[in-house]
Amino acid sequence: MPENFVRLCVYEILKRLLPDGGFALFEKGNYRPDATAWAILSLESLNKEATVVDHARSRLKEDQDKDGRISVQKGLSAAYWTTSIAALAWHGEPAYQEAYKLSINFLISTFGKSSPKKSYIGHDTTLKGWPWIEGTHSWVEPTALAILALKSAGYEKNYRVTEALQLILDRQLPHGGWNYGNTNIFGQELRADSYSTGITLYALAGSIDRKDIQKSIGYLQKRVEKDRTPLSLGWEIMGLCAWDEYQISFDKYLIECWNLQKRYGKYNTSFLSIILLACAMLFNHTKPL
Amino acid sequence: MTPETDKNSAINSKISRRDFIKFSLALGALASSGLVIYRQWKKYIRPEILLQKSSASTSVFIAKIKSYSEDITSRLLSGFKELGVTESHIKNKRILLKPNYVDTLTGADHINTHSMVIGAAIDAFFFLGASSIVIAEGSGNCRDTFLMLEETGLIEIINTYKIPFIDLNYSDCFPVRNSGHFSGLPIFVLPNELKKVDIVVSMAKLKTHHWAGITASMKNMFGLMPGSFYGWPKNVLHYAGIENCILDIVLTVKPHFAIVDGIIGMEGDGPIMGIPKQSGVIVMGHNPASVDATCAMIMDIEPDKVGYLSLASSIIGPIADNNIKQRGENIKDVQTKFFLCDHIPAMKRLRET
Repeated sequence: MPENFVRLCVYEILKRLLPDGGFALFEKGNYRPDATAWAILSLESLNKEATVVDHARSRLKEDQDKDGRISVQKGLSAAYWTTSIAALAWHGEPAYQEAYKLSINFLISTFGKSSPKKSYIGHDTTLKGWPWIEGTHSWVEPTALAILALKSAGYEKNYRVTEALQLILDRQLPHGGWNYGNTNIFGQELRADSYSTGITLYALAGSIDRKDIQKSIGYLQKRVEKDRTPLSLGWEIMGLCAWDEYQISFDKYLIECWNLQKRYGKYNTSFLSIILLACAMLFNHTKPL
Repeated sequence: MTPETDKNSAINSKISRRDFIKFSLALGALASSGLVIYRQWKKYIRPEILLQKSSASTSVFIAKIKSYSEDITSRLLSGFKELGVTESHIKNKRILLKPNYVDTLTGADHINTHSMVIGAAIDAFFFLGASSIVIAEGSGNCRDTFLMLEETGLIEIINTYKIPFIDLNYSDCFPVRNSGHFSGLPIFVLPNELKKVDIVVSMAKLKTHHWAGITASMKNMFGLMPGSFYGWPKNVLHYAGIENCILDIVLTVKPHFAIVDGIIGMEGDGPIMGIPKQSGVIVMGHNPASVDATCAMIMDIEPDKVGYLSLASSIIGPIADNNIKQRGENIKDVQTKFFLCDHIPAMKRLRET
């Protein structure tokens, strides 16, 4: 991956830096905790802008609720899916140990809504993971992100992680992919999407046997040949690399993805950060989250 | 998906500060700035708009259009004329087109509002003097909006017309009081884009729906609700009751106009996994309940069998055939029986006698 490409990505992310230390999704936008947490993670993954990263961590902490959650907008704290990303952004920094622990404790004590099994729903609705929004069902992406956060805190063997892994595997589609979290409704199998599959594969790495996800790797290998949008491509690469499925062509794909901003307009900070995290994996051959 | 409904949670029309706090506490959601949020939504008054009140009759226009390669713009302009929408209503107005983009599959014309229909609407609104147009959607399933824009061809329309596309899932938002009170949700969190436009147009797809029976202009309003606050899928609305939320969102947002793309609709297990249905129509009108009722009749479904339409008939607009002034084509001339899945309860009841 060319160094100047990374510099360009970092430069673009920094354009969204706000005077208070947080990040917006776009230039001249308002503070968003998800944009801030993703920016921290991506900049740190390549050891860039340490001072900016520290200020951003501090800004992120400002809006943490007493129970440890970080919500998308202060005062509307049912939307707490950002807590897992914030926890990862504080991980390993002594100055934010308290905020980190609080957020981990929040995740440990928070469940998606479960219900008795239903004949018309393909997945096991009794399993508990994490929802996007408080008081709703557990879905694949927030559960995968919570698994990553809890694993960062050494909770690999905790029953919440064990059950969450079970949930994730239960939501796997027959051909190996995942979508947002429904496999089959009223007898109809649903389609997969590659970013959900990528995030999930990334979160599962190191926790389950490769045979359980061999088909998933095959699904992503096909998708990565054609997808060039930042969310899909970024997570496809991260999901594959987490299982040591590196390809030389990934560099080229990321540059093609970047160039598509001429067609789609500027990518938001979260998407740019996913691109940068994928770059970090290609550079370092280690998991940045 | 677990669309549990809580139909006992209707609340009084007056929402006090105490109600707001109770709601927030119930969700575990009241942060220190909760009162600031309360003050924000209390002050917000949605500008009054064109939504026809529940009156004795409304008008709906049906255009027969066989394919997306036909001249759709001129048919939309004919529809506007028949419905009394003139330059005086549109000139210098800022328009928000809300299409239905729910999932993506290359080459599939039956899942999302077709890009050619959106392009035609852009032409028509500019022809009538609109000052600006934005396309805005917050997909309920697919979070990769660029992928959807690409695979549906909408990106070509956006770039050709240089029209902004707003991904509502990540919009800055404001809370507003729920004007409907069916769902029990005291507030909705709406995208700021709604404050920046004069006219909201629901540009829906004509489809069956395995939870709501059918989906047309009213259910399409779910896509205004940002995923950041409602999830992917918008599970908050499922738990509060899909039919209830359809009504509440329409009553709160008050869309001004509906255009439903039924040139190729979807039958069977909609709204994503169903199969294409060539129905060859575009349905348009001011009143979303009457437009959706007309859509149901075109699908050979009695509107009052559709739960949300039955509820809408007394508060949003008439759904009975004899109370809707049909312009353009007659329903009988374009009616085509949509296949419904008997094993899906929301569909089975639509044709039960």
